[in-house]
Amino acid sequence: MAHSLLPRITIATRSPGAAQGSGTLACVRDVVEQFAARDRTGEIITAVHHIPAREAQWAPMPEWVRPELAAAYREKGVTQLYSHQASAAAAVHAGCNVVVVTPTASGKTLCYNLPLLNQVLENPDARALYLFPTKALAQDQLAELHDLGERLSSSFGVFTYDGDTSADARAAIRDRGHIVLTNPDMLHAGILPHHTRWTRLFENLRYIVLDELHTYRGVFGSHLANVLRRLRRVAAFYGSSPQFIASSATIANPGELARRLTEHEFTAISENGAPAGEKFFMFYNPPVVNRHLGIRRGYIGESSRVAQEFLKRGLQTLVFANSRLHTEVLLTYLQRANPPAVGAAQPVQGYRGGYLPGERRAIERGLRAGGIRGVVSTNALELGIDVGSLDAVVLAGYPGTIASTWQRAGRAGRRSGGSCAVLVASSAPLDQFIVQHPEYFFGGSPEHAFIQPDNLEILVNHLKCAAFELPIGADEKFGGFELAPLCERLEDAGYLHRTAEHWHWTEQAYPADAVSLRAVTSDNFVVVDTTNGSEVIGEVDFASALAAVHPKAIYLHQGQQYQVERMDFAERRAYVKRVSLEYYTDAIRYTQVRVLETAATARIIRTKNNVREPGDEDLPVDAAAERTHGDVLVRSQVVGFKKIKFFTNENLGSGQLELPENEMHTTAFWVTLERTLIESLPFPVRERQNGMHGLLYALESVATLLLMCDRRDIGTAIGERPPSPGLGVEWEEAPAASNLGGANEEREFFEANLYLYDAYPGGIGFSEPLYDAAEVLLARTHELIAACPCEKGCPSCVGAAGDRGDQAKEAALAILARLGAGL
Amino acid sequence: MSSVYLDRLSRISALAPARRREPVREALAGDEADRMAVLGAEVGRNRYGEHLIARQWYATPEMCDPCANVLRLLLPAKTTRAGIGIARRSAARNRGISFCRNAEEGSVGPRMDEAAELAADPRKWLFLDIETTGLAGGTGTYAFLVGLAWWDGDGITVEQLFMRDHSEEHSVLLEIARRVLERPVLVTFNGKSFDWPLLETRFRMTRAIESPRVGAHLDMLHPARQLWRLKLGSAKLAELERRVLGAETLGWSRSEDIDSSRIPEFYFDYLRGGPAEPLAGVFRHNRWDLRGLAALAGRIFRALAEPETIETGTEGALEIYGVSRLLDRRGERERACTLYERALEAGLPRSVERTARHELARLAKRQRNYLRAAELWHQLGCRRATGPHLNLRPEGGRGQELDHTPEGGEPSFEACEQLAIHYERRASDPNEAARVSRYALLELRRADRLGLIPPHRHAYFAERFTRRLARLTKKLAQEITDA
Repeated sequence: MAHSLLPRITIATRSPGAAQGSGTLACVRDVVEQFAARDRTGEIITAVHHIPAREAQWAPMPEWVRPELAAAYREKGVTQLYSHQASAAAAVHAGCNVVVVTPTASGKTLCYNLPLLNQVLENPDARALYLFPTKALAQDQLAELHDLGERLSSSFGVFTYDGDTSADARAAIRDRGHIVLTNPDMLHAGILPHHTRWTRLFENLRYIVLDELHTYRGVFGSHLANVLRRLRRVAAFYGSSPQFIASSATIANPGELARRLTEHEFTAISENGAPAGEKFFMFYNPPVVNRHLGIRRGYIGESSRVAQEFLKRGLQTLVFANSRLHTEVLLTYLQRANPPAVGAAQPVQGYRGGYLPGERRAIERGLRAGGIRGVVSTNALELGIDVGSLDAVVLAGYPGTIASTWQRAGRAGRRSGGSCAVLVASSAPLDQFIVQHPEYFFGGSPEHAFIQPDNLEILVNHLKCAAFELPIGADEKFGGFELAPLCERLEDAGYLHRTAEHWHWTEQAYPADAVSLRAVTSDNFVVVDTTNGSEVIGEVDFASALAAVHPKAIYLHQGQQYQVERMDFAERRAYVKRVSLEYYTDAIRYTQVRVLETAATARIIRTKNNVREPGDEDLPVDAAAERTHGDVLVRSQVVGFKKIKFFTNENLGSGQLELPENEMHTTAFWVTLERTLIESLPFPVRERQNGMHGLLYALESVATLLLMCDRRDIGTAIGERPPSPGLGVEWEEAPAASNLGGANEEREFFEANLYLYDAYPGGIGFSEPLYDAAEVLLARTHELIAACPCEKGCPSCVGAAGDRGDQAKEAALAILARLGAGL
Repeated sequence: MSSVYLDRLSRISALAPARRREPVREALAGDEADRMAVLGAEVGRNRYGEHLIARQWYATPEMCDPCANVLRLLLPAKTTRAGIGIARRSAARNRGISFCRNAEEGSVGPRMDEAAELAADPRKWLFLDIETTGLAGGTGTYAFLVGLAWWDGDGITVEQLFMRDHSEEHSVLLEIARRVLERPVLVTFNGKSFDWPLLETRFRMTRAIESPRVGAHLDMLHPARQLWRLKLGSAKLAELERRVLGAETLGWSRSEDIDSSRIPEFYFDYLRGGPAEPLAGVFRHNRWDLRGLAALAGRIFRALAEPETIETGTEGALEIYGVSRLLDRRGERERACTLYERALEAGLPRSVERTARHELARLAKRQRNYLRAAELWHQLGCRRATGPHLNLRPEGGRGQELDHTPEGGEPSFEACEQLAIHYERRASDPNEAARVSRYALLELRRADRLGLIPPHRHAYFAERFTRRLARLTKKLAQEITDA
């Protein structure tokens, strides 16, 4: 079966002295064929996708580019542009807000550097602000601009401005930086609250560049949207209204994301004119070793074996792991398998966030020069840092989104010759879904990126910062909200004071300091390592603290395990000690959801009658179910925890906890199963309940896939449907539901609500998209469960069989069938 | 507005009150006239509107006479060009880059001589001290009370400008601009980094009133720190008043002063209709600050103009030492040298004394007074005056000076090294140089054994002295062979 997936390629005759490119191609094909041949059952290599070589689409250097700039680019070897670069530059030149969406290594930066530098050369007063999600990216870009600057005879200033910038350098940057490279956090806490020092920049601010736009989603994106509201407000104060230029990896809605972030219309440019060599993309599912429990061979070990196949043929290989711990493990395996030649440097190197710029540069150079044959990296290499292109990429575990999978895979791909990317699946539900449904990955569109700039918690925090920056006018707009009631509340709370025309900031504290762009609230728990003395090793935001650092929890930090010894609630501290155990912990939450307000609701209609009844099979049938989204109040309490074994996800036991209750107002999407549907399930009460829990578990997995988010971003709960579908808070509280297996699930729900809620106060915009995509969500969930090779449920589909009961998988599928999914 | 929306607002933690407050709304604030009377202020007006203004005249402190020498010490030594150069170099260090080949350079701020000329006339001085809504700085921090003062007749006039709410800020700023225009020499305490930048921010925020040009800025914090931090451990104005100036000289003591960390709170309460009494305390605090600043300026000018008049005794010694350091930093080495010696004679505390000897030795070496330098290094290199160690008295040295070497002090290895260099190179006495090196190695071993020296420091010096000793031994052997 797998063999038939292999495309037919005529192998170029291997003449001695053939170009290096065709040699690589042969090598890559050799590896791919060998893997396919070894997979006798066809269950391991689930897909080999062939991407043919692509010619470059050229366009001439635009006429408006000043001769000295064209000359500078010519010196760098750029005499003509790829088609997408030309159209992006033209659109920027014409004054449009532009988002460029093309894959890794397609020359995105030229799309903004060319028109911006041109503008700076024409008008030395013009200023631009570049925002990068990380400091490392800004440094990388600085080098590129520096190089261009040295080739230009006229003067312009390019600076990075971040937490590392020394105090005395800052003054010069404020005055002389034509282009200031910074990050959203610095803009938020360092630049905007001191905008008077940046008068020259703001008075002449022509462009704002948002690089790696797709990283601004969820909480971070919702914050950035508000930071940009503040930025526009300050710019307007100085009389400027900057144009936006963004670049993004391939996501489904780049234009929409850009528009939501900036509240401006955008032109999206997505055709790619950069050339590429021939490429293979292979999905590798480690073989099942215990079919009953659904246990597969460890994917880290398999990843290193796959990588070794490339390395031993001399192909330059990049291995991506999803955590620092796994990076280190893989590095150890591969360094052992590839000892350095006498006197030579280590041919396989690690690369991750904590490395110093110098070390990174050395690795990048080593890769280009060829001395380094392999690199094991975390996602640090996923974003636009230039390491050149490699022959092979191995992804140890699914990166979580289609977009970042393509980003990482894009690291393999010489402009000529062949390359190969291999995705090695872990046993996590998402990984299994992806490798078993290659058509979803290769055929479908990538994910949407969602943000919720009007999340009140986030918005109010930024409103405070905005008031600090400039007094708020009585009829001012900030996001979609009427400001007066909010400002009145802030006045009552002591933050603002109203004069005739404005609200003014009246607090001693500096509000930006209290707002972290990477979390909704800043009420954090500090994690203190007491192994030797006491050292703060991390912070956990309040919402996840109860689950992450409860007593006896295993806290993972930089690949090291720590056990929580004590949690000081009042002081917001968790004291941990270093341990080495074979398991991690998963908190058992007891969650209640109360519906506050429904935003939209609809009946679920089956378009096909897939519950076998005679006749009328194509007529729409009411499924006795509803889908809804709206506001909810989530009360949760961590009541215990499970110990889960690494790699296999086996449950090793549990413990009880007594912790305070946490209350959160957020948004949710839910599916209501009505009595008729529940009664039609041919299972005992207990198995019906198990089926619902299993279904919810799988729904959550698929939702994270659709929403391009992390599993932690979504919470789940099951509760009794509230008695009347009316409005408001006077509803009865839903009875207890929990994700605890077994005991408390004896009593049957009369009608059940299956909730998927945003795990952040106020919600970050997941509920409505889920509501809109409910059909896809149910269909994909059905595919996930149905295609899972386990017998009675496993962690890859409905949760471990031991937790759920024997018929959970069957019951979950039966519910889905009644909701019209599958077949 | 829906109840759901209100319910939602009540759950937003960002809307939770910032701090526990007294319910000031209920307090009877009295009418406007009462409030003004409490503050001792009247309404001031200009084209931007109203504000409050309070003016008072005091007989003390007395005007001081700024002598030109001292002004040179207090005003920046170099023009702003140098500042830019530094900024640019560190920008480059910071991996930032700049291409400013044709960029216009310098020209910010007044030139040095012009500034000194202006500052020489005390009638052009404007004392400035502001009270703000916070210490964080940034665009959301307001200067709600601006205290100004100037010499007037035989005494000093203090003028305080106050905004009753934010809408009066413009008119306050316009008044400040006018005063600065009349008296362009600012005299402040930490005004270079706090008060004036904050006011400049306020001026910029108006987009209407230009920040006035300052002719010269004398910030008393830095000289005060140099002169008295060693003595006081801090350089807070109230502390300086109490322990340097003295209540009798000043004519007041701050017995009922407010807790300055509560100043913003008092103002916020006032804004919300609270009582004016706590703010009256802030006004008084601000007046004390201004008069204290004026007195301090006089004291600093005297100390720098005639350091010889400073009383001796430990505290005086510390002050003299402070003056010498200031002179040293501003390149007045000769005077600095004399004063270092004086401070040593007057008797400095042990820790300061060692530093003073180091500084003095450095200056002596620079002035090619090698004998004095060697003597000082010698003193610093000895663990104690009379010990089992080698007799290190320099040839022709004044042995009795050794009494100054503190008992039980750890030897300075830097000094030993300097001394070894001195004997090897300048005194051409390799024997003595070798002896010093051997002694230093012995002392290093001891300090290491007793854990008195960090390992990296030990390693560093051990390596250097070993190398030096090896070289010297070779040289001596060569000399013997040659002989």
